Amino acid sequence: MATQIPSLDDPTVLVQTPATIYDAVPPYAPRTEREAEFYTLRDGEMLINLGPQHPSTHGVLRLVVKLEGERISDVDPVLGYLHRGIEKLGENADYHHAIAYTDPLEYISSLFNELAPVMAFEQLMDVRVPRRAEYIRVLACELNRIASHALFMGWMALDLGGLTPILYGFIERDEIVEMLAALTGQRMLFNYMRIGGVNGDLNHEFLSRLGDWMSHALREVDANTTLLNENEIFVRRTRGLGTIDRAMALNMGLTGPNLRASGIPYDVRRAHPYGVYPELEFEIPTRSEGDSYARYMLRVDEIKQSIRIIDQVIHRMPDGPVMAKVPRRITPRPGRAWAAIESPRGQYGCYAISDGTDQPYRFRIHDPSFVNLQAVVPLMPGNLLADTMAVMASLDPVMGGIDK
Amino acid sequence: MSVVAQPSGRLSPAGRMVVPLLGTLIALVVVIAAGIATGIIPAIVIWLGGVILANIAIVRFIVAATAILLFTVPTAFVIIFMELKVIAFMNLRIGPNRVGPWGTLASVVHGLKVLSKEDFTPTGVDVSVFTLAPVATFVASVLAFMVLPFGPGLFGADLNVGLLYFFAVGGLGVIGLLMAGWASFNKYSLLGGLRSAAQLVSYEIPLTLSVVGVIMLAGTMSLNGIVQAQSGSFLDWFVVRQPLAFLVFFIAATAEANRTPFDLTEADSEIVAGFATEYSGMRFGFFFFAEYVNVFLLSGLAVVLFFGGWTAPIPWPWPVHFLLTPVDTLVALVAVLVGLPLVGSLLLALPTWMVRPRLSFARAYGTWLLLFVPLAIGLVLLYLLLNLDALLGIVWFFIKAYAFVFTFVWMRATLPRVRIDQLMGLAWKWLLPASLANLFLTALAILVVRP
Repeated sequence: MATQIPSLDDPTVLVQTPATIYDAVPPYAPRTEREAEFYTLRDGEMLINLGPQHPSTHGVLRLVVKLEGERISDVDPVLGYLHRGIEKLGENADYHHAIAYTDPLEYISSLFNELAPVMAFEQLMDVRVPRRAEYIRVLACELNRIASHALFMGWMALDLGGLTPILYGFIERDEIVEMLAALTGQRMLFNYMRIGGVNGDLNHEFLSRLGDWMSHALREVDANTTLLNENEIFVRRTRGLGTIDRAMALNMGLTGPNLRASGIPYDVRRAHPYGVYPELEFEIPTRSEGDSYARYMLRVDEIKQSIRIIDQVIHRMPDGPVMAKVPRRITPRPGRAWAAIESPRGQYGCYAISDGTDQPYRFRIHDPSFVNLQAVVPLMPGNLLADTMAVMASLDPVMGGIDK
Repeated sequence: MSVVAQPSGRLSPAGRMVVPLLGTLIALVVVIAAGIATGIIPAIVIWLGGVILANIAIVRFIVAATAILLFTVPTAFVIIFMELKVIAFMNLRIGPNRVGPWGTLASVVHGLKVLSKEDFTPTGVDVSVFTLAPVATFVASVLAFMVLPFGPGLFGADLNVGLLYFFAVGGLGVIGLLMAGWASFNKYSLLGGLRSAAQLVSYEIPLTLSVVGVIMLAGTMSLNGIVQAQSGSFLDWFVVRQPLAFLVFFIAATAEANRTPFDLTEADSEIVAGFATEYSGMRFGFFFFAEYVNVFLLSGLAVVLFFGGWTAPIPWPWPVHFLLTPVDTLVALVAVLVGLPLVGSLLLALPTWMVRPRLSFARAYGTWLLLFVPLAIGLVLLYLLLNLDALLGIVWFFIKAYAFVFTFVWMRATLPRVRIDQLMGLAWKWLLPASLANLFLTALAILVVRP
């Protein structure tokens, strides 16, 4: 549905504008009933494109929003703007290289991206990981979880118009990222997990940074969160908004903080324990409200639990090697393996099929953000345009993981 | 010897510039001398003086308007710099530190950048409305400046309906925003423009009603008169007698200036840049300037209405007034500036010379002279400052006004944004009843106290 507008040079001449810029309507006939219904406008309705370039869609998600004034009547998420074909790349690389490809999936929490495939490949190879390596994995992953949640809290505030918390969140994340850089050699795409262990033991710089950070971590979390937790404007804009009840959460298959905020204490670390999590003491924080505020507060609680886990891991860290004896060329016997872990956004899984060669036959990533994004469509209608950002931010999707 | 360095004529490059100037100067002197000799120039001067004296009000207005128009630019620069630097410190960042000392020229560079950018008109816009919108917004801000008293006797115009004029003209700004939103041919702009219309029209009502109590107490709508009604100590400021009105006024003024938490018209996380989405170059710069001029304007109005304007919090207890004519004042000033250091240094040098035997008197006197001169000049300037009402008034006005500007910046760094329905709810359900209650209470109190 292209628009005709008067030309700037000669107003009597009508110019055909490119359809997608002004109309948000796709330049083809509707292919499904849903498309036909969505792109038919009633009187007083307006389609508006939020994204793919928009200040607050967390990457390149495009939300086509149908508005009646400021009120949303329908929303249609359009995905695929960040598709890099990582699964297919993984099928054409050998097992070691496939791990490196997974890093930019959920670029906020790269260590989790590596851990699930590595665990799946270890199942295929029947490798036992040394205990010290397991502890280091937990330590690094929990640090990464805190970095991810700290950034989430900043984003949440930024999407609601607060300028400052994002920078406090980045300071928190920067400390952790520098720490992990000392451990892994990279700031963002760590490529640290290996089949059979981890790449490199704890070193002095990492430990000294970790000690520094642990001495003020809890205090910093409290200081940063009080700026928002009790802010009347923040609470009023998030409480009771975008409520997901238990049945809805289960039906849509949500996982992670978004599920736990609806009152279901499902956490892969408890439900299907992996690594050394059974040996560690921690709680699974839950909240019953299921609204944006609950999802925000739940992540604050999770940060505190992660700090608790890190504290235990430091004290129980065993001696020993950090890599098992693994052949240089990985050729597992034909078979299938599924490994799931609890990433900051929910259950993150990897399904790997081996055909006996040194490349995975199929390499499938199950990403929690993709599942959680489903909630956007039923949550939006009836809310105001500004609520789109509050709900989207509280669901915390990362487009790198969704589009793969 | 290189060919390039050799001068092409007898004159050096500097000489080649000076000689023509010198010639022009000599010609000018000759012409002026001839004019004076024939009596033409004195006649022109006398005629011009007569015209100016006859139309002194118009001349005053033109001078004031020009001064205020020029004043808005550095004001906007200062507030933009404050916003950059203060928010940076609150964010634990360094902020601008490249251009000028502590980055003070960063906002000037911003201004130049905006000037040098392409002034782009997108396809599909309503060109005339699109072009006029930033002008309308900026002019509204500058016009409202005209009645703001900066110090005793320092105002563009002392209208007897000054406050009414201020709100009427200040409210014109919304037309510019609405024009921008409508003409931009962009849905974000449209939403921003309509939001600004809804928001500004709603908040005009509590804003205007909240100051009615002040008008009743002062008995005048002239801003100058309102400040004079608050003269005395800080206990005479209207914020003491009208705290509720001040609260309502401050919240409504924040919304009126489109500042966080009420900056819905350009909510960057929702509607990209609102009404300014399609603007670039200096047209965007006008919106940007108008926003910061508005911040200062409403800070100034808050100071004038509730914080005593240019008056000091505690009146200067020893009022010293000049009894001299301006010429005598100048002579006295020179005498003091020359005499005070000489005598003062002598008085200080003598004991020093007596106590320290190895010190020569000349050395002691010289040292004290060097130390005393800046001290003496400082003392004299301080004395002048304390006695020149206008100068002191400006200083107090700016201290108070920038305290408010700082508060606006502080709120921007701290608070998230409210939602449009909450914004409207606050205006109609809370601020309007509160300002009406304040109005009736004030009226009742005036009836009881002043029968």
